[in-house]
Amino acid sequence: MKKLIAMLLALVMVFALCACGQQAAPAAAPAAEEAPAAEAAAPAADDAAAESGEGKVFNIYAWNEEFKGFFEKYYTVPEGVTVNWIIVPNQGSAYQDALDEALLAQADADDDEKVDMFLAEDDYILKYTNSEATQDIRALGVTDFSNAYTYTVQAASDANGVVKGVSFQCCPSALIYRRSIAKDVLGTDDPAEVQAKLDSWEKFEAVAADAKAKGYYMTSSEAEDYRVFSNNADAPWVDENGNLQFTDAIQTWMKQAKDFSDKGYTINADIWSDECTAQQFGDGKTMCFFGPAWYFNFCMGNAQDPEKGCMGDWAICEGPAAHYWGGTWLLAPAGTDNPTMLADVMNTFINDEDVCSKLVENEAQFCNNQAVNAKYAEDPNFGSEFLGGQNPNAVFVELATKIKFENHTIFDQHCNEKLQENWRQFCQGEVTEDEALANFYKAINERFPDVVTP
Amino acid sequence: MKKHRGISYAKWGYLFILPFFIAYLLFSFLPQALTIYNSFFDNYRQGLTQIGPTFVGVKNYIKLFTPDKTGTIDILKYAGNTLILWVGGAIPQIVIALLLAVFFTSYRLKIKGQQFFKTVIYMPNLIMASAFSMLFFTLFSNVGPVNQLIQAWGWSDVPIDFFAKKVTVRTLICSMNFLMWFGNTTILLMAGIMGIDQNLFEAAEIDGANSVQVLFRVTLPLLTPILVYTVITAMIGGLQMFDVPQVLTNGAGNPNRTSMTLIMYLNNYLGGSKNYGMAGAISVIIFIITGILSLIVFRTLTKKD
Repeated sequence: MKKLIAMLLALVMVFALCACGQQAAPAAAPAAEEAPAAEAAAPAADDAAAESGEGKVFNIYAWNEEFKGFFEKYYTVPEGVTVNWIIVPNQGSAYQDALDEALLAQADADDDEKVDMFLAEDDYILKYTNSEATQDIRALGVTDFSNAYTYTVQAASDANGVVKGVSFQCCPSALIYRRSIAKDVLGTDDPAEVQAKLDSWEKFEAVAADAKAKGYYMTSSEAEDYRVFSNNADAPWVDENGNLQFTDAIQTWMKQAKDFSDKGYTINADIWSDECTAQQFGDGKTMCFFGPAWYFNFCMGNAQDPEKGCMGDWAICEGPAAHYWGGTWLLAPAGTDNPTMLADVMNTFINDEDVCSKLVENEAQFCNNQAVNAKYAEDPNFGSEFLGGQNPNAVFVELATKIKFENHTIFDQHCNEKLQENWRQFCQGEVTEDEALANFYKAINERFPDVVTP
Repeated sequence: MKKHRGISYAKWGYLFILPFFIAYLLFSFLPQALTIYNSFFDNYRQGLTQIGPTFVGVKNYIKLFTPDKTGTIDILKYAGNTLILWVGGAIPQIVIALLLAVFFTSYRLKIKGQQFFKTVIYMPNLIMASAFSMLFFTLFSNVGPVNQLIQAWGWSDVPIDFFAKKVTVRTLICSMNFLMWFGNTTILLMAGIMGIDQNLFEAAEIDGANSVQVLFRVTLPLLTPILVYTVITAMIGGLQMFDVPQVLTNGAGNPNRTSMTLIMYLNNYLGGSKNYGMAGAISVIIFIITGILSLIVFRTLTKKD
């Protein structure tokens, strides 16, 4: 009997462990997940790769599966080459830590171990473009940027204008609003009319008060509209002498965040928290979100949930100020042993009209090809089911022209994240303003000892 | 006259313990020496640029002990946090474990189903600490089941933000550590109690001692060596507390860094910038603190009347 009970308990325990492992591991443990090439290149075709004199293994570093999906669907891998995805979640600084180690060891690595392409976000792209770890892609044969959006090329260039990567998407960010709530608060859900009522911060704040009066939240996090301000900053986070500075734009956001929190217009939660994303379910009470195409088609999964979601109850407009958010760049590491394939991948995702069209049509992306985007912007039959039939490209084509990639530093990601994290506690009333700022400075100096904080 | 010497087997003994010493030298002593060495250098990365190593003497230590504008010395604050978080978990852990151990070993109570209980109380220890924290994070989040229950039962109209308040965050961390470790301590203490001569308990009973007297006059004094061992190992583990608060607070130790432990502080310097100088200096401080506290605990608990 005893043995039976012990056995049962042991089994229960093992199952419990498995269950926990499955759910918690991707978020908690930043363990590198090595996906051993599902492409299964036929071993017999090895000769093809050998002929071109290039490596047989194409290693791609990424932090999530988004681009992997597009790559596997739309890119034809040359015969004899195995694609190896090394996916390390972004949590903490796990992705960059793993990538940095690999890039710094690039010169001594075996050919099959070399990084052949890696993905980076706009918040830290400068760290890689302004270093020896990346190389000029013009020299590799990626020369035609005529259809790419200028800012995507600027972002991937180093200080001397040498282009080191391309983006497969363009990320003008829009105000994404719930149609049903807009109808209740503003009396209309028509994008043009909503835009007219929300085209400045004064109007935005006035509407926030109306929304609150009707029992809604204007935004689901005080940091929801952070990018609208930070993208329009007129100076970088750290000046040329290494001094940390708060631009007017950031200070305005800080004031607004506190104000919105005190007045109950928003929820104090991280924009990626469960609490914030739960607002995207059908029973959510939040009117406005901000984000580009990737935000509503990749990150707003709750809204697309077949049972609890609210497909079609959304629409987009420019909002109080034009801005962009994020974007994924494909960068060319120095020392890759597959330069031809690398250039081919890059060319495919910016210049192959067929592939770019599929990205727009099947994946709801706003691709990095102006001609293709324009084609869909003018197509009266093109519309997004998620947006209740609205044509997102028509909005984004206009917004894309306003994007500026200016005032960026290698410190941006850390500054943005830590400011939001520490300022939230002040908004919640858990710490004083001075404490919040002191903690922010500490966090900056722990990562960057050379930055001078006030 | 030549004295006949017996065959010495000692060399075999040395041979057999050699692997341990080699492993200790390679994997413990050498890293420790290197850590101390590194703590005297400026050695970090800014972006992808390596800065240093440059010898800077005790600059890193001075930086650690320089008060900020509000007069707080960060490392002392985090050492305080660590101690509070450890004590908050360790006191209930040792008290409950001691009680359970006494109950389980009592020949008078003869508790049935001991194996079952022992397995169950040990179980939380088998789950990875980070998974356990993720579980608690989800349970106590603002949209999690605990808050749903609180609201459903009408205890509060708005969700209680467990992760925004110092008291609740610390309580959660302490209770998780307690839950994870009390089973382990119980089993250790049971082994200790079972090692005590049963005759002594019987003799005490015949002399008319009640169970409280037996506990304090017989069990505890004879259990001291095991108890000291338990407290010291728990303390060393407690000073290195990392995974539970790290995952529960997403690495920030908030609110206001009041649940930031020493190792989390160290990790702030390592993650992203590989600052071996500062991280080394913090390690050395932790080493010294651990040494001093272990000595104090050892002295107090083994003090002869």
